Amino acid sequence: MPPAIRRLAIVSALLAVAPALHAQSDHGSIVVVTGQYPGLPIPTLIQGSSNQDVADLLFLRLARIGPTLSTSGDAGFIPQLAEHWTRRDSLTYVFDLDPRAHWQDGVPVTTRDVVFSFTRARDPAIAPALSDLLRSIESVTALDDHRVAIGFTHWYPSQFYDATYQVQILPAHLLEKLAPSAVAASDFARTPIGDGPYRWVRGVPGQFVELAADTGFFLGAPRLDRVIFRVAADANARMNLLLGGDGDALENILPISNQDRVRADTALRLVAVPSFTLGYFLYNERDPADTARQNPILGDRDVRRALTLAIDREAMAQSIFGPEATVPVGPASLSLWIRVPDPAARQDTALARRALTSAGWNQVGKDGIAIRNGRRLTLDVIFPNTSAARRQMALQAAAQWKAIGVDAQLEPLDFATYLDRRKAGRFDIDVTAVNQDPNPTGLTQSWTCAGIDGANVGHFCDPAVDSLIRAASVATDGLALWQQVLRRIDADAAAAFVFAPAAMIAVHRRYEHVVFHPESFWSGLGAWSVAPGRQLPRDRAPGR
Amino acid sequence: MSRWLVGRVAQAAITWAVALTLLFFLMRLTPGDPLARLAADRPLPPDAVTQLRHLYGLDRPLLAQYTSFLSGVVRGDLGLSIQFGIPVRTLIAERLPATVLLGGVVLLIDFTLGLGLGVLQARDRGGRFDRWLGNAALTAYAIPSFWIGLCFVWIGALTWHLFPVAGMSDPLASAAASPWAQWLDIAHHLALPALTLVVATIAVTMRYQRGALLEALDADWIRTARAKGVPESTVLRRHAWRTALGPVITLLGLWLPMLVTGAVFTEAVFAWPGLGSLAADAVIGRDYPLAMGCAALVATLVVVGNLAADLLYAAVDPRVRP
Repeated sequence: MPPAIRRLAIVSALLAVAPALHAQSDHGSIVVVTGQYPGLPIPTLIQGSSNQDVADLLFLRLARIGPTLSTSGDAGFIPQLAEHWTRRDSLTYVFDLDPRAHWQDGVPVTTRDVVFSFTRARDPAIAPALSDLLRSIESVTALDDHRVAIGFTHWYPSQFYDATYQVQILPAHLLEKLAPSAVAASDFARTPIGDGPYRWVRGVPGQFVELAADTGFFLGAPRLDRVIFRVAADANARMNLLLGGDGDALENILPISNQDRVRADTALRLVAVPSFTLGYFLYNERDPADTARQNPILGDRDVRRALTLAIDREAMAQSIFGPEATVPVGPASLSLWIRVPDPAARQDTALARRALTSAGWNQVGKDGIAIRNGRRLTLDVIFPNTSAARRQMALQAAAQWKAIGVDAQLEPLDFATYLDRRKAGRFDIDVTAVNQDPNPTGLTQSWTCAGIDGANVGHFCDPAVDSLIRAASVATDGLALWQQVLRRIDADAAAAFVFAPAAMIAVHRRYEHVVFHPESFWSGLGAWSVAPGRQLPRDRAPGR
Repeated sequence: MSRWLVGRVAQAAITWAVALTLLFFLMRLTPGDPLARLAADRPLPPDAVTQLRHLYGLDRPLLAQYTSFLSGVVRGDLGLSIQFGIPVRTLIAERLPATVLLGGVVLLIDFTLGLGLGVLQARDRGGRFDRWLGNAALTAYAIPSFWIGLCFVWIGALTWHLFPVAGMSDPLASAAASPWAQWLDIAHHLALPALTLVVATIAVTMRYQRGALLEALDADWIRTARAKGVPESTVLRRHAWRTALGPVITLLGLWLPMLVTGAVFTEAVFAWPGLGSLAADAVIGRDYPLAMGCAALVATLVVVGNLAADLLYAAVDPRVRP
């Protein structure tokens, strides 16, 4: 056979086999439907979870939290930019950067980037909230191009967490010459250059952000070539995109009727991922009319306990979030590593009534509402009118409280007004939902006497809790102490803790190796792949 | 004429300034702290709050904030969005094209098809077509636009798969596609939201046109024209319709702001990346600079729309000229 014909035959054979080879590929793409446009995923400037989701695919940390989600010590943390680390003394960690790490413009990642990023993150003028979290970091010093020492003002168990989780490393060579105030409007903000598994391709304001796999990523090229975060602010529009086949994944499928719609779709499956979300009825222990005085009703712990016992928290949590939702003991979400495995107290209306009676609410008006010294047991319950889950919680609780003689006046408020009222302490009960920090020291802000005038808007103050938190914050193995904190807050009935839900995430069935990290759901996308033979046309990335 | 024009422009400028002033102070009177949302997830230390108040000028006296806002509007500098951290002008410029496209197409259809249908109704006064179309249009007008939108999504996108569910373009389409392909993609996405708004609003232009035309057709000069033997089509086109355009032009002026604000619910149902949802979100979050930027744009459109309507009215109907 002449060489030209032989070459032609080989090429033809390869072309014939190519589609079959492609069909067996596990590459693909994913369209994640999200509620906000993640157009500014720049660490130190981030607002909102969508920007953080994108930032987590673009920018690495020195290390990330491991599967145990423990923030105490460095056990379980997974290397990212730092190849390994050593503790030099009780106040210093030394990190060795992975020499393979590079920015997507080819420049190696060095300690200059680490020092620069920490300098920006620790500057209150640039990152006010972040700098407050990093206040125990005293110094960040480059020892050479690949070794950096991070020093602390004092010893505490979550030093490593503070040194790694809070700060995503930025490229000094691209940002050093930019004034911090100019970053948001810079070319870098429009086209970020990171060091993570994905690189920025384009952002169409209000519509979507497209990322592409960085094939040269030093920790292994992702299998999904393209990640698109597609924006729909309205929850129904998000569901429609998913069910219409225009989206591959969507987090927080609520209400549960939508979970049923996803289950009924053969192309989709639901994954329950433990979350850091926590919901509760927060009791205000100060008088809403004058926060210098004790709340004439809720200042009494027996009344607070009665209110908690009167509601069926388990049924409430599961009717709103689905069967995976649990009732926590104390302020601990499902993913907080210190959570208590005990079951929460069950509804007991008879006990609740007795507790109210013993607290002096022993007369009942014609409408069934309890009375003490001529005063009706009326409580003002606030919640934001934008949250369907909290509205549902409030409605269910009001009906159950009425059964024991409590008149709950529900006040759905516009979000800004709600935040105002909450901050000023002008409420009896606040239907709260929070996303907790993985580090339990975050409890200090909301549940200690020192937190009053800050995040502790319920004015809960128990010196025993303060003392336990102080001890737990400096204990080498603080788990037992932290759990005592949770049990004590629960026993004090500072709030009725109602739900610690799993986030229900809908994902297309063609994906394999699906991993969700509770602290950042989409940060594990680099490990996902498409089951061979199950690719859709959109899995063929442009140019493949 | 020029004196009338100058007076009309001055009147518009005063209206615009008064509207902006009212909007500014009403926004500040609304309860809610613009910085509260920034601290909703993670409390900010007091120093940081002070610093942010200074950055956004919230620590200045209200009057100073007001003059600074007005001078900014005149210079085209609307400040930094508290929520997004980027210039308001940039945010508005990013979202305005989508809004103008959707609102513009709807206005165009309303003021062409709507007028045409109104004329046909007037010609068939009291007839079956007039009654049927009038009832159908009023029924559609009575249904909230988001409900019409949801029905169209269900039928046109989720059941028949004829149109995209939401968005303005297909994110999976190549960015290097030809401009023609990109425009087709946008048109495909535009179909359902535009149809929703047209169905929800076309009744107004139809009713206005029908009413104005019927009034004109009953006028003495039309009777005279008919008596002189002028053909009915000429009577309708040359005499009656021109006169009947006046109220419709006024309506057009009033509807111009709909370009920005009229589609908030439709934008939400179809995830259309327009200015309406951005403005609504800014008001909910008390993002003063962004909310006021959007308000300034709407106020400008209202004033310019009405001024343009007055001028057009004067051009069409010599009786209103000074």
